[in-house]
Amino acid sequence: MNSPGTALVERTLEFFGRLREAGLPVPPARSIDALKAVAVAGSLDEDDYRLALRVNLVATREQERLFEQVFAEYFHGAPDTRRYRRGIRGETMQGNLGHHEKELDQEVTADPGQFTPQDVGRRLDLAERWDPAAPPLEAVIRELARRLATRPSRRTKAARRGGRIDLRRSVRRNTRHGLELVDLTRSARRTRRTRLVMLCDVSGSMDSFNPFLLRLMLGLQQLMKNSRTLVFSTHVTDITAALRTRSVAETLREVGLQVSHWSGGTNIGGALARLNRGLVREGSASSTVVIVISDGYDNGQAEQVGREMAQLQRHVRKIVWINPMYGATTFQVRAAGMKAALPYVDHFLPAFDAKSLQLLVRGLEQV
Amino acid sequence: MSDLPALDEISTIQQRYADLGYVADRALALTLKLAGALHKPILLEGEAGVGKTEVAKVLAGVLDTPLIRLQCYEGLDANHALYEWNYARQILHIRMAEHDAAARAQLESTIFDERFLLNRPLLAAIRHPGPRPAVLLIDEIDRADEEFEAFLLEVLSDYQVTVPEIGTFRAALPPYVILTSNRTRELNDALKRRCLYLWVDYPSAEKEREIILRRLPMLDATLAAQIATTMQTLRQIDFYKRPGIAETLDWSRALLGLGVEEITPDVLLDTAGVLLKHRDDVARLRAAELGRLLAGEAPASTTSRQVS
Repeated sequence: MNSPGTALVERTLEFFGRLREAGLPVPPARSIDALKAVAVAGSLDEDDYRLALRVNLVATREQERLFEQVFAEYFHGAPDTRRYRRGIRGETMQGNLGHHEKELDQEVTADPGQFTPQDVGRRLDLAERWDPAAPPLEAVIRELARRLATRPSRRTKAARRGGRIDLRRSVRRNTRHGLELVDLTRSARRTRRTRLVMLCDVSGSMDSFNPFLLRLMLGLQQLMKNSRTLVFSTHVTDITAALRTRSVAETLREVGLQVSHWSGGTNIGGALARLNRGLVREGSASSTVVIVISDGYDNGQAEQVGREMAQLQRHVRKIVWINPMYGATTFQVRAAGMKAALPYVDHFLPAFDAKSLQLLVRGLEQV
Repeated sequence: MSDLPALDEISTIQQRYADLGYVADRALALTLKLAGALHKPILLEGEAGVGKTEVAKVLAGVLDTPLIRLQCYEGLDANHALYEWNYARQILHIRMAEHDAAARAQLESTIFDERFLLNRPLLAAIRHPGPRPAVLLIDEIDRADEEFEAFLLEVLSDYQVTVPEIGTFRAALPPYVILTSNRTRELNDALKRRCLYLWVDYPSAEKEREIILRRLPMLDATLAAQIATTMQTLRQIDFYKRPGIAETLDWSRALLGLGVEEITPDVLLDTAGVLLKHRDDVARLRAAELGRLLAGEAPASTTSRQVS
């Protein structure tokens, strides 16, 4: 194993710096591995050098492309083909989100428009769309939360009672009693906890955002402690903390103060991108259920919606899309953003009138 | 032992793979070399059907060593991946010992004998006696649960397994480990950091032609080239499941068996079932302008789905 010359090592380290600037994480342990790999590759052939570094430093296809680009720029001064970079940087790099996030989180201090918190409160009082013959709203929501919160796992755990007798475990435990089956072990299904992420469109095109949906949102958030609620129009705001307060009216007032972009434009793709970069990257993505509440009218790019949905679908367990207009007799999927998103949606549910709300509840029970 | 096929010359690796009918590009060959030298697992990601699993199978062939395969699925746990006690034999052993005072006295020490240990893939790979390291294929890791990934990370970081009743098994020859993922979900970052990463893409037309001819040398070279270009065009259509290399080879075999000399729209439609396994996909193919498609023109009306 011949070690690479000092000049090469220095150059390589500088290149690592460039990679970090571009947003590719290069922790020290990996840079050491990469340098070792260069030594093992042995030849000073540029291709081998590049590949030896690459297989050590990247962890996704997007990073692979980013690496190639930074490599070409650094060693050959290739013109910056931004075509890639924008997409890729945004797509995989956490580090790069600093300014992005700021922009998204920005508290636009102004014009709450025609949609004031009081309005929201008033709308909530009118739970008129809920069918009086059905069980009370609160009970339905509580039941939904209970069902959504856990699901049986395929895996089992030892249990005192219930479940089935686990013969293997029983025998194993009792080998020490010379196989007299003194105590029986039983096995029961484990339960897996679900995390809910709700993404609610509060832009102008969602004026139909009905009281039931608001109640549902609040109810689920309060009952499922580890879930998150975000609202978006042109910006995204995480209102989870605000929803922690017990009283619904109070919560709404607080949300109204926090969210100042009610009834703006809509950027669904951007909101989904935010989810993809942030929330669903945190640990338990595969036990996450995402509920999007939106009519799909978007003044961003439909293409971005499709791309981000595809990405989101790969990360999370289920995507539920509740469209408040769906259920109306004249309803058609006309919104470009909605069309782009549909192929990736696991459950597409209506919320237009009492009848479709029943469908919604039944649909959510099956998630 | 003298002709031990070591993986240290990239061109040798490529040659040996080619001998077994697999066209390995330089990136793959170099990755294999690094994996051997640095004892790191390789993580291959790519669409289904691009030949990820085959990399491991051929590697076992090249090294003339057993391929130990662990197929992942949801709910896979340590019992199925690592080891398990053969309870049936243990019970038998105890029953027999009951009739013999000496054996009964020793029961405690004999009951957890290695005879009763069932090696599951991970332990089998670690205990493989050689002369060359085994190839451990952990297939479709994206299907297993996250808990399993964490467990795997532990095994792969020092290639040792502890069986409480016996002790620790440490690999004398760390196995070559190849993990594959269809990327239906993202893997744990820590696991990815342990691995050498390679994205396996669909082959170029040139490479695909080479693959076809390596596998089916009796196929007419012109037809092979036509198959390869047709596959390239087909993959631009927004199918639910785009045909992979496995489909290319199946199709080539089918055409060979049918004695087809040239691919016409009729031939393509008649044999579509070999290439496309989705009803909607076949419908989409029917809707496409096959004449122009076969002439190598990109399909017009379909927007190619962005694979990100």
